[in-house]
Amino acid sequence: MDEFFTGAVFLGILLATLRIATPLLLAALGELVCESSGVLNLSLEGTMTMGAFTGFYIANETGNLFLGLVAAAVGGMFLALIMALMTVTVKVNQVVAGLALNILGLGLAFFWYRSVYEAEGSVAIPTVETLSTPWLTYLAFFMVPVVWIFLYRTKYGLELRSVGHNPEACDMRGVGIVSRQYVAVLFGGMMAGLAGSFLSLGSTGLFFPDIISGRGWIALAIVIFGNWRATWVLVGSLLFGFLEATQLSLQASDVELPYQLLLALPFVLTIVALVFNQSRSSAPISLTVPYHRGER
Amino acid sequence: MTDSILSVQGVTKRFPGVVANDAVSLEIRRGEIHCLLGENGAGKTTLADILYGVYRPDEGTVILKGRNLELHTPHDAIKAGIGMVHQHFELVPPMSVVENVVIGTSASQWLDLTEVRKRLGKFFDNYDVRIDPDAEVGRLSVGEQQWVEIFKTLYFGVEVLILDEPTAVLTPQGVEELFRILRRMRDEGLTIVLITHKLKEVMELSDRVTVLRLGKVVGTVNTVDVEIDDLARMMVGREVLFQFKRRRSAPEDPILEVEDIHIESVTGRGSLKGLSITVRSGEVVGLAGVSGNGQNALFDALVGVDKPAGGSIRIDGVDTVPLSPNRISRLGVASVPADRIAQGLMMDFNVTENLVLGRHRSSRFSYAGLLRRKAIDAFAEESIAGFDIRTPSASQPTRTLSGGNLQKVIMARELSGRPRLLVAHQPTRGLDISASEYVRRRLLEERDRGAAVLLISEDLDEIFQLSDRIAVIFDGRIVTTTTPAQADLESIGLSMAGAAT
Amino acid sequence: MNGEVMNGEVMPDEGRPPPGPMEEPLRSDGPSKSFRTGAWRVEKRLVVRPRHEFAALAAALVVAILIVAGLVNALGKSPTASFAALYDGAFGSRESALETLVQATPLILTGLAAAVAFRAGVWNIGAEGQFFAGIMGTWFVYDQWGSLWPPLLFVLMFVAAAIGGTLWAMIAGGLLVRYRTNVILSTVMLNFVILYVLSYLLGGPWQAPNTFYYQTARMVDSAFLPRFLTGSRLHWGFAIAIVAAAVVYWLIRRTTLGYEIRALGINSVAARYKGIRVGTVTLLTMAISGALAGIAGAVELLGIHHRVQVEIAEGIGFTGIIIALVARLHPLGVIVAAIAFGALVNGSTAMQYQTGIPKALVLVIEGTTLALVLIASVASRYRVRRVKSHG
Repeated sequence: MDEFFTGAVFLGILLATLRIATPLLLAALGELVCESSGVLNLSLEGTMTMGAFTGFYIANETGNLFLGLVAAAVGGMFLALIMALMTVTVKVNQVVAGLALNILGLGLAFFWYRSVYEAEGSVAIPTVETLSTPWLTYLAFFMVPVVWIFLYRTKYGLELRSVGHNPEACDMRGVGIVSRQYVAVLFGGMMAGLAGSFLSLGSTGLFFPDIISGRGWIALAIVIFGNWRATWVLVGSLLFGFLEATQLSLQASDVELPYQLLLALPFVLTIVALVFNQSRSSAPISLTVPYHRGER
Repeated sequence: MTDSILSVQGVTKRFPGVVANDAVSLEIRRGEIHCLLGENGAGKTTLADILYGVYRPDEGTVILKGRNLELHTPHDAIKAGIGMVHQHFELVPPMSVVENVVIGTSASQWLDLTEVRKRLGKFFDNYDVRIDPDAEVGRLSVGEQQWVEIFKTLYFGVEVLILDEPTAVLTPQGVEELFRILRRMRDEGLTIVLITHKLKEVMELSDRVTVLRLGKVVGTVNTVDVEIDDLARMMVGREVLFQFKRRRSAPEDPILEVEDIHIESVTGRGSLKGLSITVRSGEVVGLAGVSGNGQNALFDALVGVDKPAGGSIRIDGVDTVPLSPNRISRLGVASVPADRIAQGLMMDFNVTENLVLGRHRSSRFSYAGLLRRKAIDAFAEESIAGFDIRTPSASQPTRTLSGGNLQKVIMARELSGRPRLLVAHQPTRGLDISASEYVRRRLLEERDRGAAVLLISEDLDEIFQLSDRIAVIFDGRIVTTTTPAQADLESIGLSMAGAAT
Repeated sequence: MNGEVMNGEVMPDEGRPPPGPMEEPLRSDGPSKSFRTGAWRVEKRLVVRPRHEFAALAAALVVAILIVAGLVNALGKSPTASFAALYDGAFGSRESALETLVQATPLILTGLAAAVAFRAGVWNIGAEGQFFAGIMGTWFVYDQWGSLWPPLLFVLMFVAAAIGGTLWAMIAGGLLVRYRTNVILSTVMLNFVILYVLSYLLGGPWQAPNTFYYQTARMVDSAFLPRFLTGSRLHWGFAIAIVAAAVVYWLIRRTTLGYEIRALGINSVAARYKGIRVGTVTLLTMAISGALAGIAGAVELLGIHHRVQVEIAEGIGFTGIIIALVARLHPLGVIVAAIAFGALVNGSTAMQYQTGIPKALVLVIEGTTLALVLIASVASRYRVRRVKSHG
């Protein structure tokens, strides 16, 4: 084990931590804003897949990675718009709507991917160049203070959080609930789309159907773990990134441990974190409760 | 003192099956404290909600400073200069006082709270209210939260402030302070409309009073011109008191014995602070009191969903504190909850299913984990006939029944086990006269059968009609115990307001 | 009751809002609740009758078909030809129709698993993981006692499958009851965890000899679920699924536990006040749900695959969730929905082969259908009425 903690390995783990934390942080920050307005968007996994694909597709077609990122954001916002329509306007149960959109997001991405590339089996899998500079990682960390300032230092953010706690009080003061929730859900979708594109454009240069493999769900757990606070969401993302990076480097070293158990670790840790982190003090009080004017 | 700021002319508001306001007209003068006095259900809050833009009147007009008001939302009312503090606060508990105040204002998007904090601090200092503008609202006491509500409204620069039962949540000292400050605000030109059913407060605070009864205005008087008894008569206005023929009660052994129980409620409001009460076989004990004085906690403790921190509850000598709600009900405790939809019924069940809720595991209705459908159906038919539940069929969704019939479903269910103790919490709230009368008659029949009946009610008429003994609850304790023969409405009303002698 | 009490005074008509429980009339359902759009008024229905739900469901399906047709059209393919190929693949021949039932078999079981849990308001999203737990239980018994007298072996394998699914579900259930841990996230996480556990077993202790594939050896023929007919893969698992649906229906409607499960899902506060043990019922619900998913695993393993691989599931657990929701949590509706979704899965292979449209279209259809059915179910609670004079 001695050589395991050499400086080079340690630096490697540090860099891997940042790389792994990037999509989690992007998606979790988006979800944080979304949930702050009282809308639980469970469709992160599908939305991230959608973003990973649309980003990849446009980058591949145009050869322009920047356009790819824009497309990823748009892809995420497209699903988020449906989410907002269903939950804010029609007031479908948020949990169920989220599950439906998860499937729709995955389905649209797979279907489109197969239609375009017909990459069943042996057909060559297209790749794009990945971002040479980790712009998305910079963006993710840059967004932590941005989200924090938005939520805690602007009146719009204050009102958005109030809508998540007590929409009736906001309605009585003439604060538009629908517009704030739409903004929040769309922002969440945009961030999840970008998070997905990090996996296709930022690290692998590929798209494959289970590219997200649970990261959307972990991002949801990070929001809970982070007690709906931007700073703690950052801590949570880094923590998961670090554990995963350590795990990867253990896998690479010749430690005798079944690698599957290491792969399962983040998910087990997520459950443990949910069990032990019982403080829900900052949870939006009206999360998942649709607002009907005139009902108490 | 005489120019009218707000004028209500012929306002009528109907709800299905009830006329909440019937051609109500009144004048509020600039710079006065005007009380709207009336019993529960007299239509005070509905009237205030119309002034505040929550409801639109079916008929009539509201005129503010000579201008006809067309209010669609409370926000319109605030912009026009009318603010209201409901009993149910419109606050965002996890946020600070300043943040709560700034929501919906035209402050700049770049949140600079120093200015608001300064203005608010000045407000607080000016009126000697000691609240930290940066404190989290959810951690403030209910009384302090009410101050935040009041100042939040004033921050918008309203000219008319409506307060709905503001003293319900206050300690006597808190009431003192509130009144002192309200008088000062009035002297500084604010117009205050105070909704209450507490006579003492009206006498102490108001300049003028408008008394409402059953949705109609009984009259508006200058407070100095009347005595408290006059107001009581106007408010209660009892021409005919419906009298039940009843046997003399012959109370026997105690069935329910509650001794010194304590329950701390999360909000601090409605805690039990050492309550003791005994109900014997064959008697109705009426528990009178203003809501929020611990009635809910007592109900929850008796049925077993909440457990007192200290003291004991015994049913026929058995300590029920460690028992589950199910075990307690099997000791013969039946309950009629205050919120019949939230606590008593499955609105998406059919009537039959609701009639056995809680007793579905009894040997009568199930065998080895299977529901005895025939027995259940037969029981449902029997209950529907026996309690005159108006429904096209027993398989009708419960959601479609009227309020009175919902209550009959609960009564049929709860009485079917021939309970030893029946706890009825606001059993006639929101019911029409015939349904109320029916429910009351059933309660008396239970008493005559030998059950112990604890009637928790805010309706003094009901308490007087049904009770063999009356206990008054205030601030989590029983402050007075008496009998209908010895007591009168006014003295009970005074104890309910915490002014017991 | 007889019809005599059914006069106007007694029953509120449909347009009338439900009565409020409070002394002050409830705001929620007062007449002012409806909002106006011109001369039309959208109102909440008091009673949502089956015909309203069916109309809304039909409308949702039509819109879903139109959207998917548009998508296919955008690919430059003919929607009608594609749908024809899809239909042909699902029901075109006796063989394909039977194969549709084969595909529907595990979906019925996972659909029931989701339906039972959702009935109680417990969001068990972990049918996929519990499905694997069932497979692992089955294989464990087969591996240990495979030489037992076959009928006994079958009983043991199914019991083990049910226990496996139950145990895996109870982890999330226990955490929910004890720590109020978000059950959606815990069940999803457990889905991933068990996948890796299985992958470990398949690469280690359970791996078939002389192979690099992550799979077990093939089971002996005597441990296969028998087939009904020659020339079709339709096996006794289908009968098991149908019986399970009947049992769940019976459980929900006829037993005290089923009564409590429904009560919990409708109003957990009133359930508590009326003495229903909320924690116990939640745990039992998770147990039943997990057992059904576990049995689905056994059925797939013993009926079709005959060896354990990670690829067995193919989203059977997740599709079960959609099926349960589309069937409005009705056990018999689950059968219908599962056959429809089985037909989609089955027909899509033929469609891909004939028209080149990717099979993944099935997921799009599933997601679109579910989203529209959800919107429709909310819409069916409202009606649009013409208002005579004032606007």
